[in-house]
Amino acid sequence: MKRFLHCAAAVLAVFFLMCGMAGADMLQQFAGQKGKIDIAGGTAHIPVMNEAAKRIMTANPDIRITVEGGGTGVGVQKAGEGLVDIGNTGRALSGDEVAKYGLVSFPFAVDGVTVVLNPANSVSALTSAQVQDIFAGKITNWKDVGGADAAITLYTRDEASGTREVFWGKLLKKGAIADKANVVASNGAMKVAVSQDAQGIGYMSIGFVDAAVKAPLLDGAEPSQDNAKSGAYKIARMLYMNTKGEPQGLTKLFIDYVTGPECTEIISKAGYIPLR
Amino acid sequence: MDQTPLCRRNPSRFCRQLFFDRLVRILSCGSGFVSLATLAAIFAFLAILSLPLFTQGQWGQILSWTWRPYQGFYGILPMAAGSLALSVFAFALAYPLGLGVCLFVCSPRGGLMRRLTLSVVTFMTAIPTVVYGFVSVFLLVPLLRKAMGGSGPSLLAAALTLALLILPTIVLFLHGAMRDTEKRTRLTSASLGFSPLQALLLVVLPGSAAGLRTAAIMGYCRALSDTLIPLMLAGNAPQFPASVFDSVRTLTAHIALVVATDNSSPAFHSLFACGLILFGVSLAVQAAVRKGPSRAMGDRRLAMLSFLAARPACRVLVLGWSAVSVAVVLGAVGSLLAFLLARSLPVLDLHLFFGDTPVLAAVFGREPVWDGLFAACAGTVALVALASLMAIPIGMGGGIALSLYLRGPWARALRFSANALAGVPSIVMGLFGFSLVIFLRHTVAPEANTSLLLSALCIALLVLPYTINATAQSLETLPEELRLLGPSLGMTSWQSLRRILLPAASRGILGGVVLSMGRAAEDTAVILLTGVVAQGGLPRGLFDKFEALPFTIYYLAAQYQSEHDLNKGFGAALTLLVLTALLFCIARALQARMEKEWKH
Repeated sequence: MKRFLHCAAAVLAVFFLMCGMAGADMLQQFAGQKGKIDIAGGTAHIPVMNEAAKRIMTANPDIRITVEGGGTGVGVQKAGEGLVDIGNTGRALSGDEVAKYGLVSFPFAVDGVTVVLNPANSVSALTSAQVQDIFAGKITNWKDVGGADAAITLYTRDEASGTREVFWGKLLKKGAIADKANVVASNGAMKVAVSQDAQGIGYMSIGFVDAAVKAPLLDGAEPSQDNAKSGAYKIARMLYMNTKGEPQGLTKLFIDYVTGPECTEIISKAGYIPLR
Repeated sequence: MDQTPLCRRNPSRFCRQLFFDRLVRILSCGSGFVSLATLAAIFAFLAILSLPLFTQGQWGQILSWTWRPYQGFYGILPMAAGSLALSVFAFALAYPLGLGVCLFVCSPRGGLMRRLTLSVVTFMTAIPTVVYGFVSVFLLVPLLRKAMGGSGPSLLAAALTLALLILPTIVLFLHGAMRDTEKRTRLTSASLGFSPLQALLLVVLPGSAAGLRTAAIMGYCRALSDTLIPLMLAGNAPQFPASVFDSVRTLTAHIALVVATDNSSPAFHSLFACGLILFGVSLAVQAAVRKGPSRAMGDRRLAMLSFLAARPACRVLVLGWSAVSVAVVLGAVGSLLAFLLARSLPVLDLHLFFGDTPVLAAVFGREPVWDGLFAACAGTVALVALASLMAIPIGMGGGIALSLYLRGPWARALRFSANALAGVPSIVMGLFGFSLVIFLRHTVAPEANTSLLLSALCIALLVLPYTINATAQSLETLPEELRLLGPSLGMTSWQSLRRILLPAASRGILGGVVLSMGRAAEDTAVILLTGVVAQGGLPRGLFDKFEALPFTIYYLAAQYQSEHDLNKGFGAALTLLVLTALLFCIARALQARMEKEWKH
C-alpha cells in the first residue's frame, strides 16, 4: 500500500512537473530579458494585463511591466504619442488614428457590452428601443419599462471609453445620451456604481459582470460571451493591443504571450473569449 | 590701530568670503525667481495650448452649455457653473461653521474643550483630500442615499465633504487674526467694562475685518481648486445643476477626466481654457488678498453686532451657534476617523503591505509584491524624497533672498509669485507637467515621458511656495538684535547667515519643510496626470512610472472588485493618514519650539 502511494505520488509529481514545464514554455522566452513595458488604455483589458504581467514578472524579476487604465482614448493617445509601449483599445482603431499615429493592432479576445442593472431591480428584459429612450432621458421612471415606481439614475462612461463608443454606436445607434448621466471612469467603477444604486442603469464589458450586478435580456437575447461570439448577441467587440509601428523586442514577446496559447486560460478566467 | 586688518593679513581668505557672499546672493536670488519663472511658464503653456481655439474661431463653441464631444459640442460652461455652484455651496456651509468654531475657540470659557477644539481643527489640515473623499464614498454617500433617495453621488455629497476640507483653512486664518486683535485690544475692552462676549463681538470681530476677508478668500479658493472630492463624489455629469441632489462636474474634475484625448482635438485645447480660468481666478484671488483696502467694518454690520451683543436672547443665539458648530465639526471629524479606524484596523497586518511575498525579499526588491501596498508606499516615499530634494534648496534660497537680499518691486514680485503659485490648483500643475512632456517630445527630447522624475518636479513646484514662505517667515521672526549682530561684528552677510541667522531659524525652516513634505505625500491630482500607474511594482529609476498611496486610494474607491480590494483601500487610507499626520506633528512641534524660543 505504502509503495503504491509512493508510486502515485511520484506519478503525480511528474505529472505536475510536466504541466508546469508545459505552462512555462512561453514564459521561458522571457528568460535573460531585461527592461520595461508600459501599458495603458482600455479598462476591460486590465485583469488580463495584470495577470500576464504578474506571471512574467514572477518568472523574470528583471522585467518591469506597468499597467494603468484610463480608457481606450488613453490607449490611443499614449501609444500614439509614444508615452507607453502598448496602448489597449476596446474597439477597432479609426482610419484617422491609424493614419495619424501609425498604430498596429493586435486583437486577442471577443467581448460583449451589456446593459447592467442593480440586482434588486425587478426589470429583467429590455428592448433596444427602451434602452435608447432611457439613455436619451425620454424614459425617466422604471415603471414605464415594467419596474417599480422609482426614478432612473443613468451611469455612463467618459468620452475616452471604448466600451462607451461600442455601446453608443451599436446599441444607441449614435443617439443622444442625456447630460444628467453620472460619469464613471472605468468598467470596474461602473460595476461598483450600479451595484450600490438600486435605481441605477449603466453598461459595461460582459467580462466584468458578476453577482454584484444584473445583465437584463436585450431584445430577448441573453448577453453572454458565447452569444457575443456566435453573433446571437449583437453588441460585441474585440479587445486590442496596439503599438506604434511593428512591435520590437520585449513588447513583441509580451504581445506574442498574450495572443499565444498559454494566455487563453487567463483570458477565459477574466471573462472573455480568447481569439485563439 | 591697524586700519585694514583682514584683507592684508589673510587676503585669500577674505576674497573667498567675499566670493561666497556674492555667490550665495546670486544663487538665492536666482532660486527665488524659479517661482516667478514657473508662474510665467504655466501661463505660457496654458495660453499657447488654448490659442488654437481663438485662431480657429472655436471660442464661441467653447462658451456654450453643451459638452458632447462625440457630436462636436465642446461647451465648458456647465463645468464652470458646476465649479461655481459647488464652491459657493461648500463655502456657504463652511464659513458660518468656521465663524462659530472660531468664536468658541476665542471665547474665554471652556479651557480644555477650547484647546481640544483648536487642536482637532489644526489636525484636520493634515488629513489628505483623498482620505476625505474615500471615507465619504463609503460613509456619507450611502447615508445620503438612504435618507434622501437619489443616486448618492451629488452636489450635496461633494459640498458637505468639501466644507469639512476647507473649514480648518477658514478657522485658522480667522483665529490668527482674532488672536492678534484680542491681544491688542484686551486692555481697552477691560477698561470700558465689556463682558468677554461683548468684547468679542464689539471689539475683536470688527477689529479683525481684514482677517475675516482673508479667511473667506482663502477658504473659497481652496474649495474651488480641489479636484479629488468633486471627482469622487459629485457624479461628474456635464450639466447645469438644477438641485443639490443633481450630479455636477467641476472644471478641475473635467480636466482629470478628459485629458486623455487626441492632442489636436478641440476637446484637448478646451482643457487649457479650463486651466486658464482656474489659473486666472487664483491670480485674481492673490491680488485681492494683497491689495484690498483693510477697510473697517461698515456701520450697518457694526449696528447688527452691537444689537447681538446687547440682547440676552441674541447672546444666547451666538453662544448656541458656536456650540452647535463645534459639535457639528467635532462630530463629523470624529465619525470620519472612527469609521476609518473601525474599517482599517482589523485588516492592518503585514499581509496588507506585502501580500504573500516574504517581507525581507520584498524590502530588498528581490521579489515583486502582488496584492500589497508595499510598492505604493515605496513609490510615495521616493516621490516625497525626490520632490523635497528639489524643493528644499530652491525654496530656502528663495526665502533667504526674500527676507535678506531683495527689496522693493523685486521682493513684491517674488512674494506675489510665491503666493500665487501656492494658489494654483494642483490639477493645473499636473496639466502643466503633462503638456511639458508632450512639448519636450515634439522638440528637444523625444525620449521624455511621464515618470517619477516629472511627478516629483511638478510636486516640487507645487510645494515650493510653502518652503519659500516658511524660510522667509522664520528669518523674519528673529529679533532685530540678532540680525544686526553679524554686521556689527564685521561678518559678511554669508557669514552672518550661516553662523547666526540660519541656526537660529532652523527649527522654523525645518517645520515648514516637513509640512511641505506632508503636502507632497498627499497630493493626488498632480501625479494623476504625470506618471502614476495602478500596477507596476517598485520604481527602479527616475524615468520609471510608479505606484503611489493617494492614487491607490482613489483607484480602489471607485473600482474595488472584491472585499480584499476594499480592505486594501481602507488600509491605504489609514497608512497615508498616519504618514501625513506624523509629518504634520513633527512640523508643528518644530515650529512651536521655534516660536517659544524667539517670540516674546
